[in-house]
Amino acid sequence: MGNSTLGEYLRARGVSRRGFLQFCMTSATLMGMAPSMVPRIAEALESAKRPSVIWLPFQECTGCTESITRAHGATIESMIFEAISLDYQHTLQAAAGDAAEHAREKAMKDNWGKYLLVVDGSVPTADAGYGTIAGVSNLEMLKEAAAGCAAVVAVGSCAAFGGIPMANPNPTGAVAVSDVVKDKPIINISGCPPIPVVITGVLMQYLTFGKVPELDALGRPKAFFGQNIHDRCYRRPFYERGQFAETFDDEGAKKGWCLFKLGCKGPVTYNACATAKWNNGTSFPIEAGHGCIGCSEPRFWDKGGFYKPLSTGDWGSGATLAVAAGAGVALGAAAAALGRKRQKDVEAQS
Amino acid sequence: MSTRPPDAAGRDVNQEFPLELDEPRFSVKEPKIRYDMQGDLTDEQRVAAAMKNFVKDFGRTAAVYMESCIHCGMCAEACHFHEVTKDPRYTPIWKLEPFKQAYKREYGPFALFFRLFNLKPKVTHEQLAEWQHLLYDSCTVCGRCSLMCPMGIDIATLISQARHGMFHAGLVPHELYAVAERAKREGSPLGATPQVFADRVDWLADDHEVEIPLDKDKAEVLCTMSSIEIMKYPESVVATARVMNHLGVDWTFRTDGYEATNFGLLSGNAAWQKQMTMKLIDAAVACGAKTLILPECGHAYMALRWMGAAMYGKPLPFRVLHMAEFLAENVRDKRLRVRKVRQSVTFHDPCQVSRRGGATEAPREVLAALGVELREMHPTKGTNWCCGGGGGVVAIHRADKLRHQVFQIKMKQIDDTGAELAVTSCANCRQTFDDGQAHFNWDKTMHSLLELVADNLIEDEA
Amino acid sequence: MTLLDFARGPALQWSVAIFVFGLLWRLVGVFLLRTKKDLSAPRNPAAWKGLRLIALRSWPRKEFLEGTAFGEVMGYAFHLGFLVTLFFYVPHLLFFESVFEGLIGTDFEGLFGFAWPALPTGVITFLSAVSIAALVAVLVHRITNPVKRLISNFDDYLSWFLTAAPLVTGMLAYAHAGGLRYETLLGLHILSAEALLAWFPFGKLIHAFTIFAARGSTGMIFDRRGASL
Repeated sequence: MGNSTLGEYLRARGVSRRGFLQFCMTSATLMGMAPSMVPRIAEALESAKRPSVIWLPFQECTGCTESITRAHGATIESMIFEAISLDYQHTLQAAAGDAAEHAREKAMKDNWGKYLLVVDGSVPTADAGYGTIAGVSNLEMLKEAAAGCAAVVAVGSCAAFGGIPMANPNPTGAVAVSDVVKDKPIINISGCPPIPVVITGVLMQYLTFGKVPELDALGRPKAFFGQNIHDRCYRRPFYERGQFAETFDDEGAKKGWCLFKLGCKGPVTYNACATAKWNNGTSFPIEAGHGCIGCSEPRFWDKGGFYKPLSTGDWGSGATLAVAAGAGVALGAAAAALGRKRQKDVEAQS
Repeated sequence: MSTRPPDAAGRDVNQEFPLELDEPRFSVKEPKIRYDMQGDLTDEQRVAAAMKNFVKDFGRTAAVYMESCIHCGMCAEACHFHEVTKDPRYTPIWKLEPFKQAYKREYGPFALFFRLFNLKPKVTHEQLAEWQHLLYDSCTVCGRCSLMCPMGIDIATLISQARHGMFHAGLVPHELYAVAERAKREGSPLGATPQVFADRVDWLADDHEVEIPLDKDKAEVLCTMSSIEIMKYPESVVATARVMNHLGVDWTFRTDGYEATNFGLLSGNAAWQKQMTMKLIDAAVACGAKTLILPECGHAYMALRWMGAAMYGKPLPFRVLHMAEFLAENVRDKRLRVRKVRQSVTFHDPCQVSRRGGATEAPREVLAALGVELREMHPTKGTNWCCGGGGGVVAIHRADKLRHQVFQIKMKQIDDTGAELAVTSCANCRQTFDDGQAHFNWDKTMHSLLELVADNLIEDEA
Repeated sequence: MTLLDFARGPALQWSVAIFVFGLLWRLVGVFLLRTKKDLSAPRNPAAWKGLRLIALRSWPRKEFLEGTAFGEVMGYAFHLGFLVTLFFYVPHLLFFESVFEGLIGTDFEGLFGFAWPALPTGVITFLSAVSIAALVAVLVHRITNPVKRLISNFDDYLSWFLTAAPLVTGMLAYAHAGGLRYETLLGLHILSAEALLAWFPFGKLIHAFTIFAARGSTGMIFDRRGASL
């Protein structure tokens, strides 16, 4: 891959100046920056060295890799991705076994303190046996790799928050990357999986400015995770008007009414699905007729059910209320009995 | 507030609480020293006695009421005492505060927690003493508050119940205690003992040349009177006789059951209330009466018509009618024949008969038969203003100033109708009006419906 | 566990249970007290007719209206706004439907044949605002009016606060206003409603249930006598 700059690499691949600048313009827009920023982005990318990137996969389903590689032909994004010196990635690398591990170790040593560490999947802590690569536990590998990185990008809800492995009862003791790495900047790109353009957009930001973008309270880039789905959802007018689909195939569903009653978690989910959408802006779950499951939020698997409306909670059960009622009746009857007895006593005395 | 001296027992009550029977308002004479505390109980004993006697009244209905107050204060808007003073202490539900405290602390479903966390303060002797004025001087149990309350709380009835506690705590106002005690002992609050009654019946029959049967063994109808009429308006006794005779009724008075007022009810002694009620019931039963007629009195109607059966323990074996109802019945049956009175009249509704008692139309039927031009005051009937003297208030001297303020409402009401004649069907209202008339030099006198009828009977020339 | 998780989980279970527990304790404790049969001869024997007082007493007689109109109007404005917001705003009615279904087994429409009606959010927002305004008005009245100031106690002020809090926090959450994260606002809103639920059986709010018994009792006793209703 060499040490050429990104500009040299792109020219070698036949990307025109105009195409490159269009890409910079799109990126600026995506990141909410003014057009005046485009020259700066262009300059930065032109002369950017292709940094070493090490991608560690732990308890993951490979969905995040699938997402980022959803290349629609030879798009500029995939080129950018290739232009990063991706020195270790299980799904995409040609090498395997010892050769792959040696490549990782060499990249880490050569670029110690400067490489970008990308992680997907959660980290098991209950037993090393739940996740090992070449005989090394995920936990150890993460600690070692984090020690020499410039920053960590936790891609996907598993790496960012623990994801599905952490769901109740969490048999592997799965934790998020941020639970293990405490002394390096971490960017959480949550989502199950994250939107492709969100992943590349964040990397773009990092490449351009050389530092971690503005993050929210959960460590996610505000540029993509700063607004909830509900506020940007095209079905919002139906919510306001009180028109809801009651089942997945009723009149309301066919008319594209709001899916709140079918469990949509849009109001408390922060992601770019409603604006950037998926598959290059084709659609997103709500548009396809299914409520948002809140996949970019921590513990979304344990929030009470994808099809239970957000405003219902766990109020108990008929049984618990029967117990409460029974206790109340008993105390009430006792109080009344005491009162009546007191009256009898008083009347007997007079 | 003075306490009755410890060696009070055995003193001559006649000397101690002499009656005042020559003023527009009959009561005991204004005391130089007020004895507003009775008995020689300690403060703790007074509070304990109050609590005990409150508890007796905390049944389901009272409990529901106590649990339902939302402190909206609207009852104050209905109360004539609040109306004329704007003193928030006269808010009807506030008059019940110690009763409410006692309920929540001692009896309600959460009583334990109320005591444990002191969520409502314990009723103290000072508080009860302070509340005497609120429970007696400033409440005529007129029931306007009960009519207003958005929650439907019958505040007036609860006041009567709260008085039970006050009586046993020995915290009844001087005059009210005096007349109630006299009534219990002598049979009448105002000295109309059976002997005095018999004597009066005698000379009235003589003077007015009217037959007045007394102590018949058997009679269809037992008539009763109030001491106010016997002592202040003896013409009502005559009027009763005239009407009964005109109608050809087989009736009698009985010296073993003639006093319809019930100062046990008014002062708050449930035992005395029962005793006084039982006299009337026993007398009616003794002479086999099918009907007992109550005189022109307000609380007498409440005491017997609505509370009497509870005293008796079973349904009464005779009908109970207020004199106005009896007259109305006979108007309907065309048995009562009266001359037309071509005057304009306004009718003052006695609270216990109209609003609380349900006999609102009866007097008006009688007035219609009399052919008067009826000019209703505003408000009228069920929402009419109280005269301010009921519930024992007119007997209490220290309440006079307050009562006179209230009376101004009545004067304006009646003046505004422009009616020539003011009529009512309650002797206590009547004496309250007499007292107000004297105090304000008012040009209107309150008349009795019964006497108006009696004065206009068409007698056969036989 | 986040604040919102807590609000939708343990706090919800406990508050609903306390509500049921306390409500039954208080109501049973009152309704099992003794009553005395009315032995007097009734003027109107049909006792149940007296229950019409429950409806009649919903508005004062015109003779009393002058001093009470403010309180009555504000009271209705508050109650209407509050109850409509509570029962006809979709997120809320979904909660009640979930309780309904959990207890009875079928959903609301299954039992009654028509869906629980919902009102548009704009209507709800307006009525909520009216409700809050009315609450402020009655609090000012309670503090300034001599009668109310004398008779008011801790219960009155706490109940006011716990009633106002869900309305205010609900508006804030809906508007994403108040300077806090939406999830926090929502969590606070749900917690405030739970605080109201838990307090409900123990203070004056119980009038929501006892009003029927109190008006009903008085109505039956009075109508029997022909007394004024």
